[in-house]
Amino acid sequence: MIKEIRPTVFVVDDDAAVRDSLRMLLKSVGLPVEVFESGQEFLDAERDDRPGCLVLDIRMPGMSGLELQGKLNERHSILPIIFITGHGDVPMAVEAMQAGAVDFIQKPFRDQDLLDRINQALEKDAGSRRMLAERNMIRKRLESLTPREREVLDLVVAGKANKVIAGDLNLSQRTVEIHRARVMEKMEAHSLAHLVRMVLEVERAEE
Amino acid sequence: MYDDRQPAPGNPDDETPASRSTRAGLEFRSLLDAAVDAIIVIDQRGCVEQFSLSAERVFGYKAEEVVGRNVSMLMPEPYRSEHDGYLERYHETGEARIIGIGREVRAQRKDGTIFPCELAVGQVAEARPPRFIGFIRDITLRKLADERLRRSESELRLAQELANLGNYVIHLDHSEPDYYSPKLHRILDVAAIDDAVPLTTLLRLWVHPSDRERFDEALEELQSTQAAFDVEYRIVRADGTTRHLHHIAQLTRDAEGRPVRHVGTVHDITDRRQTEDDARQLQERLTHFSRLSTMGEMAAGLAHEINQPLSAITMYAQACQRFMRSPNREDADVLEALEQISVQALRAGEVIRRLRNFVKNREVKREPVDCNRLLEDLRTLAETDARLHNVRLRIDDEPDLPTVHADPIQLQQVVLNLVRNAIDAMDDVPETQREVVLSARLLPEGEIEVVVADHGSGLVPEATEHLFNPFFTTKSGGTGLGLAISRSIVRAHGGRLWHTPNERTGARFHFTLPVSPAPRRE
Repeated sequence: MIKEIRPTVFVVDDDAAVRDSLRMLLKSVGLPVEVFESGQEFLDAERDDRPGCLVLDIRMPGMSGLELQGKLNERHSILPIIFITGHGDVPMAVEAMQAGAVDFIQKPFRDQDLLDRINQALEKDAGSRRMLAERNMIRKRLESLTPREREVLDLVVAGKANKVIAGDLNLSQRTVEIHRARVMEKMEAHSLAHLVRMVLEVERAEE
Repeated sequence: MYDDRQPAPGNPDDETPASRSTRAGLEFRSLLDAAVDAIIVIDQRGCVEQFSLSAERVFGYKAEEVVGRNVSMLMPEPYRSEHDGYLERYHETGEARIIGIGREVRAQRKDGTIFPCELAVGQVAEARPPRFIGFIRDITLRKLADERLRRSESELRLAQELANLGNYVIHLDHSEPDYYSPKLHRILDVAAIDDAVPLTTLLRLWVHPSDRERFDEALEELQSTQAAFDVEYRIVRADGTTRHLHHIAQLTRDAEGRPVRHVGTVHDITDRRQTEDDARQLQERLTHFSRLSTMGEMAAGLAHEINQPLSAITMYAQACQRFMRSPNREDADVLEALEQISVQALRAGEVIRRLRNFVKNREVKREPVDCNRLLEDLRTLAETDARLHNVRLRIDDEPDLPTVHADPIQLQQVVLNLVRNAIDAMDDVPETQREVVLSARLLPEGEIEVVVADHGSGLVPEATEHLFNPFFTTKSGGTGLGLAISRSIVRAHGGRLWHTPNERTGARFHFTLPVSPAPRRE
């Protein structure tokens, strides 16, 4: 089983004072925090699959905030990003939102505004992770099926009756019923509707 | 006609034995012919009796052409017509106008040319009727030399007048009277310079108080060593007007090393100084204007530079409040946050201080400037722009660079201008490659070289041609003054500003500054 890791706020900002004051602020509300002075340092630390969120300065020499966002997207990171912008950075903020950032906040800001956004981002991350965990669980269950059981499952999800499935697969109706019971058991499905929902969830993610 | 080799007849002096007379005549003749001056003997009516060899050379006549004729033929008008009158008056009145006195007159040669000569006339002793002997010295050459001397003196005077240059010679051994040129009197606006108030005393009294130390030092050095006196200083004259003088002087010494003469020139350079001052003031106004416009262009970035510490302060303060409210707070956290608040407040203040310094209209200074410190100070101003354009700014300086003799703010202006150009040059370059390297090093020639290198597109040939021209710009909204002013600032500091292509791509702008020299006399 996956060990529960406390969600962490990752801060990337090249300005030492801003970085350190963010660390202090987050520490004061009891949030675990890790700070990085450049996008590259963050990438090298490989934190992007950890639960939490990323607070990112949009303007940095070398790798800018937007570039780091692009690199994380390439890595299929789901870490929600809150951009910190300065005065007059609206066009960049728009670009960041289009690339999937959850929010941005303009300096200087009230601590509560930032903390609210961080909490929202952490919730979003937790939701995404729950969903991913569930998908992985379903995939594991699907992988435990035999090829014949998988065939029966696909036809059941397609809404076919046992008799039709028996005809399609050239099996006796009784054999189909036994396979179907094994599928329900292995997939830990409470009902036919539950089974269908699980399969669709995984298929949608894989499209 | 008389034979010129024979004494004139009827001369009572010659009433002697014939042989003796002939011998005396021959001796006299030899004497006449050996003389350098032309010698002419005339009788009481002005008829020529003797005409010496020198006279032949001077006048171009042979003796036989002259002897027996009126001596006035050797004179130009009006003497020619008046000469008989002179003789008559002398015979009547006995009043000598020339005899025994001598004077400078003009004479005429056979070819008609007139020449200056000195004429001395004597009366032959006891001769009855009187005879006269004239000595004539051709002074054409001397007159020519006199004329040349006179002309060169007047040219010198004119040149001094035009150049505002006065000169003087002081004879310290009092062997001759001292000389002070008329122009020197006018420069100092005094009627006379004399021993009552010697020149150096007068100048010492009038020298501007802030120049006095330099003046005294140089004067002391002149008197104690072989060194020449060469100082520019101001004087305040009796009427209260200020003049700028460039004074050069030297002492000549005798074999024992005692000063004998003090020779010098005093050049009034007030007008030149005034023009220089005007030009400098104009340049300073332009330089200041350029700094202001630079700041205008950088306003957004500068706002960011102040926003950073303010943001940090806000967050530290908010963190403090939360720590204080927390039941299990740790004082160390609060203290650390408070400490950081004051550090960041100072940082914001420092940014504002540097900005104010940069845009302040101020007197240009020359002081020892630490190059490492200069580049560090500059970071604040330059990094602003670098951030805005996602450019890395790297400072790559040698430790312990010697100081340069410069105006620190103007130098910042030059470097900032070059860095901003470098940043702007990389707008089309991928963000990861945007880097400006600012380096400073000591050259073996005793100069500091500062280089600003970028990886932009480099300079197109059309741009290099006009790069340093005022109002030439490739940027929208640029004044086109940056490089022109930068170059003039660097030149005013005794350095050079130029550019070379960077390795691979981009441009490198270099400038040099001489390392702080020994204190210089102005």
